[in-house]
Amino acid sequence: MSKPRSELSIILRGVAKDPLGLIGLIIVGTIVVSAIFAAWIVPYDPIGMNIPDRMQGPSWSHWLGTDNLGRDTLSRVIMGGQVALKVALPAVFGAMAIGLTLGMIAGYGPKWLDNLLMLFFDTLRSFPTVMFALAVVALVGPSLQTVVLVVMATSIPTYGRVARTQTLTLRNSEFILAERAMGASMARILGVHMLPNIIGVLGVLAAMDVPTVIALEAGLSFLGLGVKPPTPSWGALLKDGYALIRQTPWLVVGGGLPIILATLGFTFLGESLRDVVDPKLRKNR
Amino acid sequence: MSDTLLEIDNLSVDYETERGDLKALRDISFDVQKGEIVGIVGESGCGKSTLISSILRLTAPNTRFRHGEVRFKGDDILTKTERQMRDLRGSDISIVFQDPMQTHNPVLSIGRQLVDIQHRSNATKAQKLDIAAKMLAAVGIPDPQARLKQYPHEFSGGMRQRIAMALMSEPDLLIADEPTTALDATLEVQIIERLKELQSEMNCAILFISNHLGVIAELCDRVVVMYAGAVVESGDVREIFHDPKHPYTRRLIECDPGHIKTRARILPTIPGEVPDLVNLPDGCIFRDRCEQATERCHQVPALEKLKDGHFAACWLNHPEEATA
Repeated sequence: MSKPRSELSIILRGVAKDPLGLIGLIIVGTIVVSAIFAAWIVPYDPIGMNIPDRMQGPSWSHWLGTDNLGRDTLSRVIMGGQVALKVALPAVFGAMAIGLTLGMIAGYGPKWLDNLLMLFFDTLRSFPTVMFALAVVALVGPSLQTVVLVVMATSIPTYGRVARTQTLTLRNSEFILAERAMGASMARILGVHMLPNIIGVLGVLAAMDVPTVIALEAGLSFLGLGVKPPTPSWGALLKDGYALIRQTPWLVVGGGLPIILATLGFTFLGESLRDVVDPKLRKNR
Repeated sequence: MSDTLLEIDNLSVDYETERGDLKALRDISFDVQKGEIVGIVGESGCGKSTLISSILRLTAPNTRFRHGEVRFKGDDILTKTERQMRDLRGSDISIVFQDPMQTHNPVLSIGRQLVDIQHRSNATKAQKLDIAAKMLAAVGIPDPQARLKQYPHEFSGGMRQRIAMALMSEPDLLIADEPTTALDATLEVQIIERLKELQSEMNCAILFISNHLGVIAELCDRVVVMYAGAVVESGDVREIFHDPKHPYTRRLIECDPGHIKTRARILPTIPGEVPDLVNLPDGCIFRDRCEQATERCHQVPALEKLKDGHFAACWLNHPEEATA
């Protein structure tokens, strides 16, 4: 019965009807498309140095100028977007998948398992993200994978708690009782009936979480704990620009603007999605 | 070969609460014959819901079965494994719930849910969809193909209740848990008619739970009157309505709005409250609210057979010397 394509098109159409949703969709679309095709659309090699052209302002040949090593800022911004998504998407989806599974188990399983999982979530949450990241990076060294794992680990409790609360509410709802009374197995109740009720909420949460993760990656890179140079990252651009702010303010713009735009875009999209994924709200739009 | 389908024998169920054990059901005994419609009446909190969930074994985790048996086709349900119970639920025993607005998954289309309900069948998805459309058509919903794609909130309450009934695969026992309470009077008639049809089509027994005496009188063959977790009277519907043998039944009939002939500003009620089921008073549970209570009522009256098919638990049915 379910036709994922038509369902997706309903959601996309709904988002596009909402002005903020449309803006979010355009920004996110641009970032995603440019990240996918980054290797083909960058005007210059993002890590290739060109000392004679160093620290130039914006011009027709370098729209956002160049840095102290003569690297084209626009190319580094585009490449940085790819890095940002390479961190944000796996981290968010990984955290969502693990959090969803554990949260549903906590909500539907026996009380002792719930207590155990909640203890696990609370322990994970009690680490301040940046401190936790510092400790892990100090142990295993900075890399893209480390950032992904750290961000994922610290976001699991958020998804887990929401999934647990939703499961607890749902398990006492009449329609779940009705399903059980009709002889549905636990797997069927969780997979067929509860999951679609929870996934929408978590999806919205994930869309809202992407900018947080992007900012976190930028923050870690800014501190030199994220991706290793010369790999371009928005955070690293900010750091370079911060050091050279008097000579070339364009680097800071190149690092900061995409972070702001990505945050706005994903937030608008997330808020719009929240209204659209609920079939009850959908009709009123 | 016995014709008894469901036999509840001396069933006592407690809920463990922080205040102590709440004795939700005490020594409940009654039976349902094949193809029979049995009504259960009683005010809120009398244990009707506990009874239903005990039959389906869908009780809350703090439920304790103290003693007694629930025999379905001769087998004790309380000793079955979860796996065996799952096979019973929805195939041998089905249930229609009180609030049709709450019994469907809000985020799945009706078609999806009607397909899902056929999880026991080996038909292909297309065949199941076809059956789903036929189910909707069978309960009188126009344009079933288009409506399969709609979500529960796009259906009216009466339609949803009919869909809930459509979901059933010929059960032997249908439990109807106040199926008309959340609906208006015209829909109530339709649902009752539909239940009668189902009963004659599938030849299933129906356990009809309601506090609407008029509906019980019209639909049921026999009725079980429950009060505060115990059966106070049971028997043939006509017998009970024309010659109630327990003061509670009598008051219940007097309080039924359909029964009141003269215009009254204040509808009659039964004074007092249901006793606290954690700290049960000794003696007859209805004693505190009974106008005819006497010294004898400090002893618990047993549910006794007054004549064929009429049981009541009240000292008034016994001559004075019997207890002396």
